[in-house]
Amino acid sequence: MKGTWVAGTRVTAIDAAEKTTGQTKYLQDLRLPGLLVGKVLRSPHPHARLRRVSAERARRVPGVRAVVTGADTPGIKFGIVIPDEWALAVDRVLYVGDEVAAVAAVDEEAAREALALIEVEYEPLPPVFDVEEALRPGAPRLHDDKPGNLATGFLIDRGDVDQAFRESDVLLGGTYRTQMQHQGNLEPICCMAEYAGGRLTLWGPLQSPFLARQYLLAKPLGLSEGQVRIIQTPVGGAFGGKLDEKHYLICALLALHAGRPVRLANSYAEELTTTRPRMPAILRIKSGWSKAGMLRAKQVEVLADNGAYSSLSPSILSSMAMRTDSLYRTPAARVDAKLVYTNNLPSGQMRGFGNPQATFAWESHIDEVAEALGMDPVELRLRNATEAGDVTVHGWEIASCGLKECIAKAAEGIGWKEQRANRVPNRGVGLACTIHVTSNKPFATSITGYEFDGSSALVKVEEDGQVFVATGEVDLGEGVTTTLALIAAEELGVPLAQVRVLQVDTDSVPYGLGTYASRTTFMGGHAVRLAAADAKRQLFELAADLLEANVADLEAREGRIAVRGAPERGIAVAEVARAGMSRGRPMIVGRGTYESQARMQDVTHKYGNQTLTYSFACQAVEVEVDPETGRVRVLRVVAAHDLGRAINPVGAEGQIEGGVVQAVGLALSEELQQREGRIRNPGFLDYKIPSVLDATRVESILVETIDPHGPYGAKGVAETAINPGAAAIANAVYHAVGVRVRELPLTAENVRAALGRADG
Amino acid sequence: MAKQLITLTVNGARYETAVGPRTSLLSLLREGLELTGTKQACAEGECGACSVVLDGRLVMSCLIFAVEADGRQLTTIEGLSEGATLHPIQAAFVEHGAVQCGFCIPGMIMAASYLLDRNPNPTEEEIRHAIAGNLCRCTGYGKIIKAIAAAAGAG
Ligand code: FES
Ligand code: FES
Repeated sequence: MKGTWVAGTRVTAIDAAEKTTGQTKYLQDLRLPGLLVGKVLRSPHPHARLRRVSAERARRVPGVRAVVTGADTPGIKFGIVIPDEWALAVDRVLYVGDEVAAVAAVDEEAAREALALIEVEYEPLPPVFDVEEALRPGAPRLHDDKPGNLATGFLIDRGDVDQAFRESDVLLGGTYRTQMQHQGNLEPICCMAEYAGGRLTLWGPLQSPFLARQYLLAKPLGLSEGQVRIIQTPVGGAFGGKLDEKHYLICALLALHAGRPVRLANSYAEELTTTRPRMPAILRIKSGWSKAGMLRAKQVEVLADNGAYSSLSPSILSSMAMRTDSLYRTPAARVDAKLVYTNNLPSGQMRGFGNPQATFAWESHIDEVAEALGMDPVELRLRNATEAGDVTVHGWEIASCGLKECIAKAAEGIGWKEQRANRVPNRGVGLACTIHVTSNKPFATSITGYEFDGSSALVKVEEDGQVFVATGEVDLGEGVTTTLALIAAEELGVPLAQVRVLQVDTDSVPYGLGTYASRTTFMGGHAVRLAAADAKRQLFELAADLLEANVADLEAREGRIAVRGAPERGIAVAEVARAGMSRGRPMIVGRGTYESQARMQDVTHKYGNQTLTYSFACQAVEVEVDPETGRVRVLRVVAAHDLGRAINPVGAEGQIEGGVVQAVGLALSEELQQREGRIRNPGFLDYKIPSVLDATRVESILVETIDPHGPYGAKGVAETAINPGAAAIANAVYHAVGVRVRELPLTAENVRAALGRADG
Repeated sequence: MAKQLITLTVNGARYETAVGPRTSLLSLLREGLELTGTKQACAEGECGACSVVLDGRLVMSCLIFAVEADGRQLTTIEGLSEGATLHPIQAAFVEHGAVQCGFCIPGMIMAASYLLDRNPNPTEEEIRHAIAGNLCRCTGYGKIIKAIAAAAGAG
């Protein structure tokens, strides 16, 4: 590997110090002159016709500057793949929390008073909350153009599944259910908008400023992209929740009507009851195996609860239904997936994008198969694991793959052999694997309409040698700014302290798709690498002049450019940059654009390479189950991750540890409980994300497969971290107490009930 | 509703200010005094993001009315570092990679500083206990525990 001297070392995050002193300015810390407070009026009904909305009295409240209702919106439907949502309800409301109207006022009190004075007449309609009921003939129809409440669905058949099943020695089926998990980002969704000089400016913690500019704002407002400016603020956690929301559009509408800046911020109760949590699903699996434990065919039927509106959910459905098919060598696969409208809270994307649901089902199932075959679950996985060079059943080209190594290392780390051989009562070990995309081209294309997945960057060298990196990518707290800075430092041969990464402002940074699909290190990393190389070339030209040397003989290290092999013939980058000021090169600006060459042969049938590279992981856990209460404690987790190459190892570990603990929440405690479409636990007291007392010890093992496509060999890690945990825990619970729980979460109550059934 | 004049000392500086009867201490700090380092997340006393030290007690400032702080001493995150020099706990958080999005961090650090003021050599169990009321969604807590232990060791 080429001699990197910055990337790959253990550094501290470049923005951490400010965060510890409270100086980081999140959206809630910003003020603008004349700033108004926005508030949203929401439907109390899960399904009702809107008879009348009158804002007259609300408009007369002193201090109120704008009231907007469905009648005041541009009449453009919102939604990527399926535009099925108005900015504010026009004729019907479809879930408890559906946005009906919004106000902007000089203070909180006036805003609340105005909300209370908006008169809305509802005519309640029969609701439907269960996906299977919603599909039945005669169920209430939510969207006139969607008979049977089928938002979308697809059927894929590859290879001869029926024949393979006939030839299988072991056939096994199982139904698995997953719940609605909330992102639980501590900073609720919020933004600030101002309409001035014919342009809209929006400040906020977004996952993708450029996607937001295009499809969350410009499109539904009937503006062109350049009329919208997004100024990114530091993100207080996102996990998918800040990628797609109508919130920003409503704030923009208020700003437009008020003629003054408006801040709109969710209360935490709103955050938990009206944003878009992880899509719940029922997954029915059937698989066929040879006696020797080779997978012959896999079939899955997915029923996913879309809730009232679709937003990004069709893409989540694909990922949920198909991604695990590439984890093992799968000769034949059948997928029957349906996305179903109900009058529940619209579901959406959370870290893993459907994959944790699918992985829970498939990796629980694999353990059941191992038992049916009388084979060790580790052995079964090793026999079937996908390998580098494979083209999987859906046409994914696996460029690098450390799955087998991950399995071996996780098993070893947890003490698999001893633990399986010497049983301790009520203790158990289990493991699970995952595959995840690094970026997702068809998804990007479905949102933007452009055949582009990639990123672009500018690297600017100031006269004092300070380096500024500008991209359209954002840091959600995972530390990608540090990673991008490391890459710039690496290419330019300057110390990390000399590099700063700009906060995104869509007016001035180059185009990027933002943070989702574990893509930023890969895509942003490549763009920054190219831009820095371009800047370096320019610096070298100057330096060659100054040193009277050939460009080809120069190298940059530790802030100096010198003749290779003759460090005394060198000059500081700062001096080169300063000399450039008088030599027609005021400020060096390097440019880089990276475009992924991934090509999906058949988008309609979802066949082909979704992206250039895929990450793998195996996590092994040890649990203890209290047989009386059913309470599960996760004692430790060994997480082995193939991330290609760790450019920022501390950041990578942070991703793994955080993802593992989120998976503990997914496995054991987290569920937004809906009854009749109402969320019954809208606060952290009852919606239980893991506290430090529930968290577990995590040992991260970084498996470096040096991906041929990744920047320095790197691929994504953020989402693989959450995918396998729930299955690993369910498998360990089975090992501990012999009950198989096929439904998340494994709360004490659910496990106790399962134990009771096993006894009885 | 009638506002009430209160005086309080925050990070050693005295403030005199008028507050409404239902204004939370958190709003007073963030909006009234423009000390925005203390974060607002749940605003319901369930996450610890707004933790400050009030007369030697660790409190969630979103649960306390500003008027209750009348005549009292407060330490917030802004009161820990001295100029550009980080407090040892802050430095340890940076050093150990304990900071991701950062939103929980000011509250977390206040809880840690409250612990270490009383118990300079806590066990891991004691550290866990001290931050049990502070939720962090990003880090999984491992590096936070290490950072606090290291800060204790260094102090
Ligand atoms: S904001 Fe005060 S406890 Fe959450
Ligand atoms: S660092 Fe994000 S919530 Fe703790």
